[in-house]
Amino acid sequence: MERNPKTAEGPAEDQFVTGDLRRNGVKMATIAIALVITAFIISLLLLVVTRPDPQAVIESLLSPEIRFAIYLSLVTSIISTMLCIAVGVPAAYALARYNFFGKSFVSMILDLPLALPPLVAGVALLLFFGTTAFGDALASIGLVFVFSPLGIIVAQFFVNLPFMLRIMRSTFTDISPRYEYVACTLGCTNLQAIRRVTLPMAGSGFLAGAVITWAKGIGEFGAALMIAGATRMKTETLPISLFLNMSCGELELALSAAIILIVISVVSLYIFELYGGSTKF
Amino acid sequence: MLSIKNVSKDMGEFLLDDVSLDIAEGEYFVIIGPTGAGKTILLETIAGIYPPDAGSISIGGRDVTFVPPRERNVTMVYQDYMLFPHLTVEQNIGFGLEYQKVPPEERRKKVLEVAGIFGIGHLLHRYPGTLSGGEQQRAAISRAIVLEPAVLLLDEPLSALDGQTRERLRQELRSLHAQFRTTIIHITHNFDEVFSLATRVAVMNKGQIVQAGTPEEVFRHPTSSFVAEFVGVRNVFSGTCTTEGGLSRVSIARPDGKKTIISSLTPHPEGPATVTIRSEDIMIGREPCTTSARNSFAGTITDIVDNGMMVVVHVDCGLPFIAGVSRQGWAAVGATVGETIHLTFMADPVHVF
Repeated sequence: MERNPKTAEGPAEDQFVTGDLRRNGVKMATIAIALVITAFIISLLLLVVTRPDPQAVIESLLSPEIRFAIYLSLVTSIISTMLCIAVGVPAAYALARYNFFGKSFVSMILDLPLALPPLVAGVALLLFFGTTAFGDALASIGLVFVFSPLGIIVAQFFVNLPFMLRIMRSTFTDISPRYEYVACTLGCTNLQAIRRVTLPMAGSGFLAGAVITWAKGIGEFGAALMIAGATRMKTETLPISLFLNMSCGELELALSAAIILIVISVVSLYIFELYGGSTKF
Repeated sequence: MLSIKNVSKDMGEFLLDDVSLDIAEGEYFVIIGPTGAGKTILLETIAGIYPPDAGSISIGGRDVTFVPPRERNVTMVYQDYMLFPHLTVEQNIGFGLEYQKVPPEERRKKVLEVAGIFGIGHLLHRYPGTLSGGEQQRAAISRAIVLEPAVLLLDEPLSALDGQTRERLRQELRSLHAQFRTTIIHITHNFDEVFSLATRVAVMNKGQIVQAGTPEEVFRHPTSSFVAEFVGVRNVFSGTCTTEGGLSRVSIARPDGKKTIISSLTPHPEGPATVTIRSEDIMIGREPCTTSARNSFAGTITDIVDNGMMVVVHVDCGLPFIAGVSRQGWAAVGATVGETIHLTFMADPVHVF
């Protein structure tokens, strides 16, 4: 207060001045909250990484069980991501470009797995593949989803499809359809215009979507647990391994699975941000 | 050449309502109209982007109503260029030639030739994002013209450019049309483009073509008050017409209860009529003009707006007139707001409909 310059009107003016433009209480308080929660998250991650003995972690990482879990996680998540791309990209294109009857309903249902608890999704998938004639028919031609790695793939696909879909939908929406119109007048069919013009322009959104879908697939637990179960060395992905080893007190094995999951999350989030994913989701 | 018959298309936000238009080979046809009038949909329907709900379109005598864009030989240029950002300028311009199965050497030759016409030959290896607006639009026009289209559609091609570039590119469009005699349909908001480019002009409003004709006809003789106001005729009055010795005399009720009579050479049946007078056709002076001009009124100046090129004077003669005079002309009169002034205009430029 003492540094308020005196105005021409004299000191009487001062009684209305109760603050200082340079001190913004709201700014300081909100930034403080953001900093505290950031510190909390970092300390949690550091705790997981530093808690076990490094030598034991390296040994665990090389153990057959963790190596199997890494292998199974990579294979299932890559396949489920490809399925999400195969279904999500065309569906997102339809939602971005065309108007059709029931579009908003379709759009809402396609986003539903985001809000649905993964355990519920898993139960539904288990019922679908385990108790219906359709599931039996698939099983009879060798496609067994219940308590098998195929179940993990279908669980990851179902739960993570909305990520691919949402990111691609906003990516396509951001690309003016006029690029395709011009391409069509220049001689392209509709499909050629998409392939030659829209898809190349959608590259960064596609990368962001694929990376986040893959990262979510690696971490998928609830739905996979329900349909594929938690069988050591059979349906043991990294999160399942973490769960199994934690349950029976194998802290080193559990934490090494956790460390791998943390590294994957941090790296894929970085790539996601790099390609502008957060503005599209 | 291009014949549009009773075409309707409802896109929700925008629509075309029973549009019919015939455009001759080699015409430079300009379409003007307010935002949301349906101008872009009309172009996109001609290009074949969407099928019309009703009506038919034929190009060179061939019905193309439901023919896909690639088989129409119609190309399009948008205001914001729509160059493919992941392709070089050369790949952009040559894009359509690929689909015409033109061999690479010949493609390159054609691209170089067209790029040369627009002076962008040195930019062929660059990507569109690194070019200025004028360069991008030259590339977009090159991409469209290299296919030698039957009809070239231009959707506000100059609107995103700065004044000087716009002026230069307008000249280039003019010489392009003179050289290739391509049939061109050009949408704009800019009246300069109408007068310097158009062989004919159409005014669109609410999905309909409300008037079409030569620029002179449309700007001098609007057939509705919408067109009159849109093309900038500042003086539009409604009244009752009587005929007297070859002269149409329109009596207009004034807010003060009296009547003003304006004479015109436009033949019009007796009854309700609208009169339009362009502001630059009104002469202004301190004394009543002693010429043979039919219309002369005295009034009070209510406002003077100097827009840099012209001085626009608002005069209350019982009716609110707006006159436009050159700055030199106005300096010679030297009047200020509140003074009494005399307005004079001939019967010839007064249009009645």
